[in-house]
Amino acid sequence: MPGRFSKKLILGMALILLGVGISIQIWPGGGFHVLAQDSAVIRVAGSTTVLPIVSRAAERFQADHPAIKITVNAGGSGVGVHGAGTRRLDIGLASREITPKENDRYASLHTTVIGRDAVACVVSSEIFRSGVHALSRKQIGDIYLGKITNWRQVGGPDRQIIVIDKETHRGTRHVFMRYLFGKSNARAPGARLVTGSNNEEQAKIAQSDAAIGLLSIAWINDDVVGIGIREGRRVIKPTLENVRSGRFPIARNLNLVTAGEPNDVVGRFVDYMLSPKGQELVQASGYIPIHSPQAVSKVAGSHSK
Amino acid sequence: MNTRSLFPERGPAFWGTGFTALIASGTIFILFVSLVIESVPVFKTQGVSFLWGTDWFAGEAYGALPMIFGSLMVTAIAVVLVFPFALGSAILTSEFLNGRLRLMVKAAMELLAGVPGIIYGLMGIALLTIWVRDVFGLIDGNTLFTAGLLLAVMVLPTVMTLSEDALRAVPGEFRDTALSLGLTRMEMVLKVVVPQALPGLAGAVFLGLGRAMGETIAVMLVIGGIDRIPQPWFNLFASGQSIPSKIGREAAEALGFDLQWSALIALGLVLFVMVMALSLAGNLLLRRAR
Repeated sequence: MPGRFSKKLILGMALILLGVGISIQIWPGGGFHVLAQDSAVIRVAGSTTVLPIVSRAAERFQADHPAIKITVNAGGSGVGVHGAGTRRLDIGLASREITPKENDRYASLHTTVIGRDAVACVVSSEIFRSGVHALSRKQIGDIYLGKITNWRQVGGPDRQIIVIDKETHRGTRHVFMRYLFGKSNARAPGARLVTGSNNEEQAKIAQSDAAIGLLSIAWINDDVVGIGIREGRRVIKPTLENVRSGRFPIARNLNLVTAGEPNDVVGRFVDYMLSPKGQELVQASGYIPIHSPQAVSKVAGSHSK
Repeated sequence: MNTRSLFPERGPAFWGTGFTALIASGTIFILFVSLVIESVPVFKTQGVSFLWGTDWFAGEAYGALPMIFGSLMVTAIAVVLVFPFALGSAILTSEFLNGRLRLMVKAAMELLAGVPGIIYGLMGIALLTIWVRDVFGLIDGNTLFTAGLLLAVMVLPTVMTLSEDALRAVPGEFRDTALSLGLTRMEMVLKVVVPQALPGLAGAVFLGLGRAMGETIAVMLVIGGIDRIPQPWFNLFASGQSIPSKIGREAAEALGFDLQWSALIALGLVLFVMVMALSLAGNLLLRRAR
């Protein structure tokens, strides 16, 4: 009895040891890359603003190059930059510029601009319909500081303002806060909720009837309305036209971040993004291509339902 | 003591199983030790004020109190909401149902216990936040109360089945004696069975709380995500933040370096200790009940 028992046990143990041995073998080589010698993997993650473009592009690119596999994940610009810096990612997505601090930490970061976008101040459709069509920079700032707390104070209904902020590492927040307060990591004591991705922000604003938030213009739709920025008598609406002409003040580049110049398969994918085919996808995602010979008259809103 | 008396059998079976047992039980120690080591930098720079600081802003300050407060608050709300329902349904199944029907209720509860957190989270964000807002007339439904309510639903099956086990563990003689003394069925349950099962019931609640405290995704979606203690602190209908939700939101960005990472690990350590204490208390109470 003990003899038969232990034979099976030994076999079991041997299998476990084999498993442990194999994983240790794989470890120093950098995960499963070792196993995938002839089919390359490009790991991409980061900004949920850039994500829709790249996931479309990845689909097409993989169809053309079956040997290359591209994984695309969300996380935010901070995740993209740090992922590229630590080489956990082959390409990091960032909807903001790399900060000096990040440049100090990772010497070799390289950015490739693939398109332009703007961050709009958005409100629930009920608020827009009640007549709040534009706010000045000062008014938006005061709302985020908690100095203005009721829509009545800016010409809306008598309703408390639900101020929606974003996680501090989100690129959209960096750009928006820099515009409002001149500081990309400014605090927003007036905030009531904090959200992460563009999707989450869009959903929470759509669910509310008194919310204000910050969103990439491609996410604007009927429930989540982008309001104009009032400068003196002028009101600048968040349209692609105004972003392209440089009139809309909260514009930004959409970046692919790599550790050093992109080369090899990563380089081929980056080149694809810059090619006419890739640039078409930038436009189809609701953003502004950087290599665009033809005029684009499409208005924002391609992630609308 | 002679080691031979400790380990009488030293064949390959002993070494093989010993190896696996060592790996299994060693995991918890490795986990704990690495949490402690990784959280050293934040305690070095901030001292214990990390634990009662109220300000958390990545890159500037790390104060864990709003998250600790939020975790305790949602867990407390969950227990207050879940206990009457768990106890009621446990009494029904244990004392008034028999055979097949009882097993059916139990099986349904155990199935419910296996539903993944993200499912509850989706229901929470799509329905619960709206209901809470409309029922209580709030301006927004992403609150500590919503998170507590969602957690109550999530831990109901755990608390209910364990409570039911505790009630069943009360020997039949107690019931027979009580009934023969002329007590009604209701008096028998409330005055004899429940008091006898009390340690077990408390154990069930503690284990449920342990699960509630560690729940991440469902809470993350409905709690509001703001690192702030409500004003006044007992305002359940304000937004807040729990420890797992905070870690879930920031971990990917902080991964592996910097004070922010250390602060998140330290938050994890705090959570680990709190959950361990709850499960330890729960298991002790359950053992006493048997």
